[in-house]
Amino acid sequence: MNKELIKVEMLRKYYHSSKGLLKAVDSVSFKIYRGETFGLVGESGCGKSTLIRTVLRLLKPSDGKIVFDGIDITHLHEKELKSFRKRMGIVFQDPHSSLNPRMTVFDILSRPLKIHKLAKKHDELMLKIVEILKLMGLQAEHMIRFPHELSGGQKQRVAIARALMVEPEILFLDEPTSALDVSVQAKILKLLDSVKKQKNLTYFYISHDINLIRVVSDRIAVMYLGKIVEIGDKETIFHKPLHPYTNGLFKSVPVPDPDVKIDKVPLEGEVPSPVNPPEGCRFHPRCEFAKDICIKEEPVLKEMEDGRMVACHLYQ
Amino acid sequence: METLLEIKDLKVSFDTEEGKVEALDGVNLKVKEGEFHALIGETGCGKTVTGLTILGLLDNNAKIEKGQVLYKGIDLLKLNEKQLQQQIRGKEIAMIFQDPSTSLDPIFTIKEQMFEALDNNSDLTEEKKLNLIIEELKKVKLPDVEELLEKYPHQLSGGMKQRVMIAMMLSCRPSLLIADEPTTALDVSTQAQFLKVLEDLRKETKITAIYITHNLAVVSEICDTVSVMYAGRIVETASLREIFKNPQHPYTYKLLHSVLGVETKIEELQEIPGSVPRLINPPSGCRFHPRCEEADEICKIEVPRMVEISSEHFVACHKRVIE
Repeated sequence: MNKELIKVEMLRKYYHSSKGLLKAVDSVSFKIYRGETFGLVGESGCGKSTLIRTVLRLLKPSDGKIVFDGIDITHLHEKELKSFRKRMGIVFQDPHSSLNPRMTVFDILSRPLKIHKLAKKHDELMLKIVEILKLMGLQAEHMIRFPHELSGGQKQRVAIARALMVEPEILFLDEPTSALDVSVQAKILKLLDSVKKQKNLTYFYISHDINLIRVVSDRIAVMYLGKIVEIGDKETIFHKPLHPYTNGLFKSVPVPDPDVKIDKVPLEGEVPSPVNPPEGCRFHPRCEFAKDICIKEEPVLKEMEDGRMVACHLYQ
Repeated sequence: METLLEIKDLKVSFDTEEGKVEALDGVNLKVKEGEFHALIGETGCGKTVTGLTILGLLDNNAKIEKGQVLYKGIDLLKLNEKQLQQQIRGKEIAMIFQDPSTSLDPIFTIKEQMFEALDNNSDLTEEKKLNLIIEELKKVKLPDVEELLEKYPHQLSGGMKQRVMIAMMLSCRPSLLIADEPTTALDVSTQAQFLKVLEDLRKETKITAIYITHNLAVVSEICDTVSVMYAGRIVETASLREIFKNPQHPYTYKLLHSVLGVETKIEELQEIPGSVPRLINPPSGCRFHPRCEEADEICKIEVPRMVEISSEHFVACHKRVIE
């Protein structure tokens, strides 16, 4: 068994827009190890959703390499991909739009089994669906319901169940709780945590919610304008973020404690457009430490003594 | 501090296909001059309905069954549409909404929209209006104001749009601001900028605000007083510190402990059993009782009254009242 479940190398996803080349994901490299929870955090528009969709091969990569369990899947055809699709599941942000409103829960959950020919007979399907509903904290009777008859939390449980039907090795979780209330979020996170332990899964969380990523992840990556700026062990990075963007981002998060306030605005300005992004380091126009070299030369990820990688001229 | 707005025993229902929804059931709220009063709770608890009722903006299927909304001594519920529009909205009480992209009109420039707000509410000359507009836009720390005035909403980011909303609102000099989830659509870094703008304004203008949100962390940044809503009722009201350090209502406690903080471990997250009840045939007695671990017989039968348990700390729970 390969310890590296996913290896992404210099992955690029560019779009042609009327204003020029939009570099949504630009030369991104990272690895996800079996059994870990990897968290990718970044603000809206940084390219995190494009990145996971490209890794899943739902989007065609412009350049770079995606290796799944030792096999290069970057250029596989749809037919060849099918066996890999089964091994990678995804749960989307908004269960209201990711579940087909005209299908019952039974139909929604039986589709992946039929597509991958894992169960044909009605009894078999039934058995598997009852089992997964139970695992999700739902009842067997929920299978005859339509999505609109379920609450937001229940819908997300169905979406997770659907992803788990074909027994994947890794789940991509794209903002799985951001459409939910906090008390429901707590339940879903606990459910995902226990399922992971039971089934020895690997998780790839994507979120703009820094506290969420902090709570769930083992290792994290911080993305800014199509690039990973810092990556490494969660504790190491949260304890002492090195990249000025990571630092500013973490400091922007309000703490639910009346004694702790954000003293000054940690990040001034706005994220620039990914069409013709700033030269050199993409963060330099907003960075208080920017030097001449930051304007001219793009920093690359470099390994620090504590094992993390940072892309910043301050540490080169 | 004087009370600026007082809501007394407000009951609002909606007629829907499925039946009557009791959206607000006896809401009492006092907002003092100069304070930032948070209204927190989960989806469907009645926070937004409360805000809309104050400004008379409820849909046609809504019915105000009883209650008063006293603003500077005047019952707003007794005013007609014309009076509300001419005397209250914008001038006295302004509201900003969650999604700034839908609050601004896509086919008019920022300048045109800023002028429109002022035209309804002020008799200044055009030149003075323009100066005022520029001044307000600078106050919310928007860069290149002259250029910005000629832009359309789609040319601005979410954070900038929300600041335009604030500037528009400020130009009419209201005494009370109702902010309904103003940062929910924003990124954290933009949210931090926006909160800073609000805080500075507060120091300059002494504005009072009702801050509606589900985000407890944001509340702890900017508010002084917190009212917690559950299923159409306010269950607890106290100072910010009291709510966070000494929550009394079982719902408040659970809510606080389901928020993800810096030190949170998944195992320690609190779960609230069950889900928020639908407000067609809501639970009897205390509406939280079916989900409450402490509930007993009285909670199922009797609606708990709001009781002062210490100075400025009110809670509506049968288990917290010492007879």
